[in-house]
Amino acid sequence: MTAHLDHLSAARARRRPVSRRPALVAIIALSVLLASPGKLAAQQYPYERPVNAAPTVEDIGADYQLPTVQAHPPRAAWREALDVGLLVLALGLAAWLALWRRSRIGLVLLAMGCVVYFGLYRRGCVCPIGAIQNVTVALTDPLHVIPYFVLAVFFLPLVAAVLFGRVFCAGVCPLGALQELVLVRPISVPRRLDLALGTIKWVYLGLAIGLAARAATQREFIICRFDPFVGFFRLAGPAHMLLIGGGLLVLGLFIGRPYCRYLCPYGPLLSLLSRLAWRSVSITPDKELDCGLCAQACPYGAIQRRPAAGASGGRYQAIRSTCLACARCFKYCPRQRAREKPAARQGRAGPAAPYGTGGRA
Amino acid sequence: MPYQRVRLISGRGPAASQFADALRGLAVDAADRIYAVGDSAVKVFSPEGELVGLWQTERAGWAIAVAKDRTVFVGQTDQAQLFDPAGHLTQTWKDPQRLGLPTAVGLCGEHVLVADAKDRCIRCYDLDGRFRHSIGGAGRMRGFLIPNGHLDLTVDADGVLHVPNPGKHRVERYDLSGRLLGQFGRFDGTDPAGFSGCCNPTNIALLPSGQVVVTEKAPPRIKVYEADGRLLELFGQDDFDPRCKNMDVAADSRGRVYVVDTIRLHICVFAPAEAQDATSRPATREGQPR
Amino acid sequence: MSEQPTRRDVLGHAVRGTVLIGLGGLAAYLGRRAGPETVWQIDCDRCVNSRAGAVGVDVCERCATECVLPLSAVRAVNDYAKCGRCYICPAYFDIKSAVNAQGLPSQKLCPRDAIDRKPIGWVDPDDPANNYYEYVIDERRCNGCGRCVLACKEPAGLGSIRLVVRYDLCLDCNRCSVAQACPDDAYLRKPLTSGEATA
Repeated sequence: MTAHLDHLSAARARRRPVSRRPALVAIIALSVLLASPGKLAAQQYPYERPVNAAPTVEDIGADYQLPTVQAHPPRAAWREALDVGLLVLALGLAAWLALWRRSRIGLVLLAMGCVVYFGLYRRGCVCPIGAIQNVTVALTDPLHVIPYFVLAVFFLPLVAAVLFGRVFCAGVCPLGALQELVLVRPISVPRRLDLALGTIKWVYLGLAIGLAARAATQREFIICRFDPFVGFFRLAGPAHMLLIGGGLLVLGLFIGRPYCRYLCPYGPLLSLLSRLAWRSVSITPDKELDCGLCAQACPYGAIQRRPAAGASGGRYQAIRSTCLACARCFKYCPRQRAREKPAARQGRAGPAAPYGTGGRA
Repeated sequence: MPYQRVRLISGRGPAASQFADALRGLAVDAADRIYAVGDSAVKVFSPEGELVGLWQTERAGWAIAVAKDRTVFVGQTDQAQLFDPAGHLTQTWKDPQRLGLPTAVGLCGEHVLVADAKDRCIRCYDLDGRFRHSIGGAGRMRGFLIPNGHLDLTVDADGVLHVPNPGKHRVERYDLSGRLLGQFGRFDGTDPAGFSGCCNPTNIALLPSGQVVVTEKAPPRIKVYEADGRLLELFGQDDFDPRCKNMDVAADSRGRVYVVDTIRLHICVFAPAEAQDATSRPATREGQPR
Repeated sequence: MSEQPTRRDVLGHAVRGTVLIGLGGLAAYLGRRAGPETVWQIDCDRCVNSRAGAVGVDVCERCATECVLPLSAVRAVNDYAKCGRCYICPAYFDIKSAVNAQGLPSQKLCPRDAIDRKPIGWVDPDDPANNYYEYVIDERRCNGCGRCVLACKEPAGLGSIRLVVRYDLCLDCNRCSVAQACPDDAYLRKPLTSGEATA
């Protein structure tokens, strides 16, 4: 076993130059965002009436001052910068928790935090899923100006996917986080059915792009219209959408993340880009035994046996395009538990594994 | 309703007898000819509605009055102009301080009373254009309250000014020196005898019998009151464009009522169902009842 | 295990780098496009509550009822410079209600009592009808129902009250439910321009 540990520590000790790329991208994005012109509020339409009958300040007399008409500028730029900063932080935290720390409880806490902030406080808007439509409009309509904030919200999870896999889905996306929190008794979906249902999100993406790419008067924003969970975040909404959202959550008690896996139109983009991930969730390898507990634990069917050098019949790997970085596999992995030995020895038991813990991990 | 609409005079359009932009003031002389001022012209109509005279004013005309000798007084922005019966300009009174927006002219003997909507008071001039005094501008009241932007007046042969005070929802009576003699009217949104809205009544005229005709806005209608304030008639609710505001009104010797529709730019003529007797106020007196 | 990056690693880096640069470039291209951002605005020349032509109509409350927020992002605002400061304001009072002992209408028009009335300037202590009154709409109570806007419209009033969108609350939805419901096409996306002083 120590050989494996040596191998692992050696792998970790490999001195790769720490890529400054993500930090650079973040800095560029933030500075571009903050450099955007400040917004001032005004009504575009000059609401003029030929009124010359109103009393003047002199008529009213006695030091009367004309009060300013109430006007409210949009949300301050610093608030949007804060949201972007928190998004970057949450993505980074999700990556660290899922890939290095491998902490399920950490991701659950992150998911709760993101539901509270991005979901309930910011009411789930602006979200990258809806931003697909805004980017489509910006690409097809040369007159349309897309705010930096929306661009940041759209591109940052994609950048994170290129670097770390689908960490956005891990606990940052409020829709995903909500479903993650209600999943109590995962039942795995048969592969054929899973693959068949998974095509729906591609169709949805195509429809959303097609309808958003139309001329301004015919544009339809179906992602916003049919967002099943925004009603919960706003605590109000059309009855049929609340029912659908509720239904998805009830389904989500047993079937892991039905919206994310079958309906979310952002999913195809993430799944394509996460295949290039620089670092991603990795299943602890072993030469002698592939117990396969992780594959059983994964609610999304993302762990499969794949051919790999040095192991006959392949070994279990987390498929980057499907893995949502929820870290459940680590909870059940005996080797993972063994690596947390000092804590285990102090009596903190992991979940019961069919073949017992410890021993030859 | 004993009053019925009998005729429409003029209208909106480019023809000589029509008005293009605005129709603002109305007066009737002793022979029941109708003088209408709007755009930058005065148009005179026969009692049957035919155009009999047209002459240009220097500026946009707001108010008009006709003396017994058929001299015509036209109130325009910052000035007033006098025309002889043939339509030739005889005098121009330039007084931007006091005639900023003259919306009504009344005549009584040697006195020419001009209502200035800009300073919200009534100016008294003599026939040569010399300013004498103001009514309603000084003192605690600081002028009439006219949120509608229009101050109207009418003066009877005894020298009593009848002035609607729209902001206070009443009609007030003054003598020529400016002393308040009396008033009638109150606010009431439910009772038709009261004046509704923010500023009603807007315009006023006197019938030969001494009854008071007022016009209102929102919704536009015409009312006839006894001099002591009792409501006698209410009519014209369906005859005007609902956007009308500050509709000038005049009455002729037969008791017909002429009202301007400020949107459609025509004059509605209303006649009483039974013949109106000329009672205690023969039409040949000085100071035409408007 | 060799510490040297394999060809596969280098290829991976190259592809990742290209993709990242591509994403960044696309973002920069879209973001650098010049022009003002657009927000939802109300065109008062089309809104039935404000436009001059529509008289004698019922109030259109859709700005208050259709917004996805619990309290709509639309509210009424009084343009003080154009307000007549009337003693009896048809937007403050329900002028169809019975008159009370002071000669004022007994009911207020606003269902949420969002308008405050106070005498301003030189105040005549004896005759309240002699004074000018300021009408201020409290935006915390106003929900944009539009009754005061309709009541102030010409010719009944001077048209100084209008409906505006509260940009600090408006979510700027792609698909605004108020815009979908507006029967006059008065709720439109228009560029935000710099203008009057902001609060």
